[in-house]
Amino acid sequence: MDEGGVLLRIAIVGCGQIADAHIQEIRRIPGATVEAVCDVNYHMAEQAAARFQVPRLYTDLGRMLGDVRPDVVHVTTPPRSHLPIARMLAEQGAHAYIEKPFTATAAEAEELVDCATRAGVLACVGHCNAYDSAFLRLRRLCDEGHLGDVVHVDTVMGYNLAGPFGAVMMGDPTHWVHDLPGGIAQNNISHPLSLLLPFLPDERPVVSALGQRCRPARYGDARDRFFDEIRVTLLGSRGTASLQFSSRVRPPQMYATVHGTKAYATASLDSRTLRLVHGASMPGPFARVQWAYRDRHEAAREFRRNLAALVRAELHFFEGMHELIRRFYLAIQGKQEMPVPMAEALRATRILEEIFTQCDRRAEEA
Amino acid sequence: MTAVPGGKFLVTGPAGFLGQRVVRHLSEAGRAVRAVVRPGTGPGALDACLRGVKHANVEMVEASFNDFAALRRAVDGVDVILHIAASTQGSAASQVANTVVGSDNLFRATIEAGTPRFVLVSSFGVIGASRAPRASLIDESVGIDPHPEWRDPYSFAKHRQETLAWTYQRESKLPLVVVRPGPIFGPGQPILGSRVGLKLFGLFLHLGGGSVVPLTYVDNCADAVIQAGLVPGIEGEVFCIVDDDLPTSRQLLRRYRRQVAPIRFVPVPFTALRQIARLNAGYTRRTNGHLPAVFTPYKVDAMWKGHCYSNAKAKRLLQWGPATPMEEALDVTLASQSRPK
Repeated sequence: MDEGGVLLRIAIVGCGQIADAHIQEIRRIPGATVEAVCDVNYHMAEQAAARFQVPRLYTDLGRMLGDVRPDVVHVTTPPRSHLPIARMLAEQGAHAYIEKPFTATAAEAEELVDCATRAGVLACVGHCNAYDSAFLRLRRLCDEGHLGDVVHVDTVMGYNLAGPFGAVMMGDPTHWVHDLPGGIAQNNISHPLSLLLPFLPDERPVVSALGQRCRPARYGDARDRFFDEIRVTLLGSRGTASLQFSSRVRPPQMYATVHGTKAYATASLDSRTLRLVHGASMPGPFARVQWAYRDRHEAAREFRRNLAALVRAELHFFEGMHELIRRFYLAIQGKQEMPVPMAEALRATRILEEIFTQCDRRAEEA
Repeated sequence: MTAVPGGKFLVTGPAGFLGQRVVRHLSEAGRAVRAVVRPGTGPGALDACLRGVKHANVEMVEASFNDFAALRRAVDGVDVILHIAASTQGSAASQVANTVVGSDNLFRATIEAGTPRFVLVSSFGVIGASRAPRASLIDESVGIDPHPEWRDPYSFAKHRQETLAWTYQRESKLPLVVVRPGPIFGPGQPILGSRVGLKLFGLFLHLGGGSVVPLTYVDNCADAVIQAGLVPGIEGEVFCIVDDDLPTSRQLLRRYRRQVAPIRFVPVPFTALRQIARLNAGYTRRTNGHLPAVFTPYKVDAMWKGHCYSNAKAKRLLQWGPATPMEEALDVTLASQSRPK
């Protein structure tokens, strides 16, 4: 590791698409080495090992843990398998970085946290969008008081069902994502949820959720059943939040807007930009001109910033994942707090469960 | 001369570009076809390709390639399997999941059922052309690519698929015949593929220069695939499928600009392309993937080194020849791509 020189031995279990991103981002962290990959399907393990020159590959997790003795295992398998895998990792004393969603149900999340706690290991859920630089800058603005007290947070996630993952999932009615209670939305809204939760510290905010299926039914199977539009409002003791998941809005992007008593700011994770809005101080029609000028100023600053980052090769797609992994590894070494505490992963899972329970109930009532 | 005069064909990927033509040609020849489609494909998926064919005997079967039991049922009672289905887009991991994992199930189902012939439609992308000298002949004698992980995701997945097929052929007597078509073209498929060039920042980079493009017209390719299922005694053989009178990349682009659209392009000579590839690969390595390695010297050598191609073996053993001449095939294709005035 860069901050301390400790070497970490890393392994991956589950060699689907997202495992590529994990391996690439781990390799950017000095001192961390991917020692082995594991997948129940030999071909999947083999392709990952071959493309990334990982020295060992396994189809049996127990054997990999016994042979390799990794410090950390990245769990990039379908969510239904997270709990049984985490149990095995805890027994072997390995820390776990677990892809979102943490587990399929809140009961599983409780058991996973309990299991890790008893074994004295850490489990970090992959809420990596909350570690994207644009969002971290937004949080800094709040912490420094530029927005005043936070009143409300809006988060929006657009999702393209014809995109790289969406196309795979829509092409296969037996895909694991259809086995989740909330389908593709459950696999994704951990991200926008993770952006609003830091501003809503209540353990159990009041949730109101509505799910819709706006696409035409074509298949007569699980692919017709999941919600493709979700609207959620959350009511906390000190503020409110809303979450919108949409498969129809274009461009599909994720952003969070934090409304405060002094100003509001929007962090877009896709453009990796931040926009602070103070409004205008001038009177009448001059305000329109001043407001637009300030917007232009914000946009110009972000343009210069991203251009410089492009030149310095700092616009990696999975930058947030890199930062979260880096912080998690430091936490393992006791050099900083856990970036996403296990209690926070549990809180997010409970809220997710409440969201999809309400969506199902309202759909049945309708 | 046929192995299965009245036999039944199973076709995977029947709704795809090549699969549709294969199903049509088989139906026109009066052969019984079992078309394996993904669950939820719908009964009308083959209507367009069978339009005008009298007495087509096509049975559609829904089966996921992840479902061994469904595949096992699908292969029951067929004499020839033409395995065309493959993933063409997405990450390497997802293409392996679709193309290789699914094929593994189909190979095992075929062996268990004792099907007499299995034709795998592979790709030119699996051939180890990178190390072949400039202007050398690429045919069946050139070995398989030693480093497919340095190529594109499609070539990587097809390499793994074909390698697995040969393993089953050696170890479990899979009655395998491999067909490796070059880029397949025809109405409905863009003809300016990566071997000609690619679009970048609104410009078309012409990469092929004077290199020959190893094309095969979709109907000609369909004939070759079917012949690979019919001709007896060719198990264990591999065939490269390209048409006659192959155009150069420059000729193809010129014709496209004349007949379809006068696109703006920037010619990139091979030596310049190789330098760009070295820079691209070096930058990607130094910055840990800040930009993808679109070009690497290995890819450039495989694709644009100026090789030439032969279909002599296919002509000799498959008794195949391109029924549609290149000139006519290009006319039909380019006419379909030109915008109505």
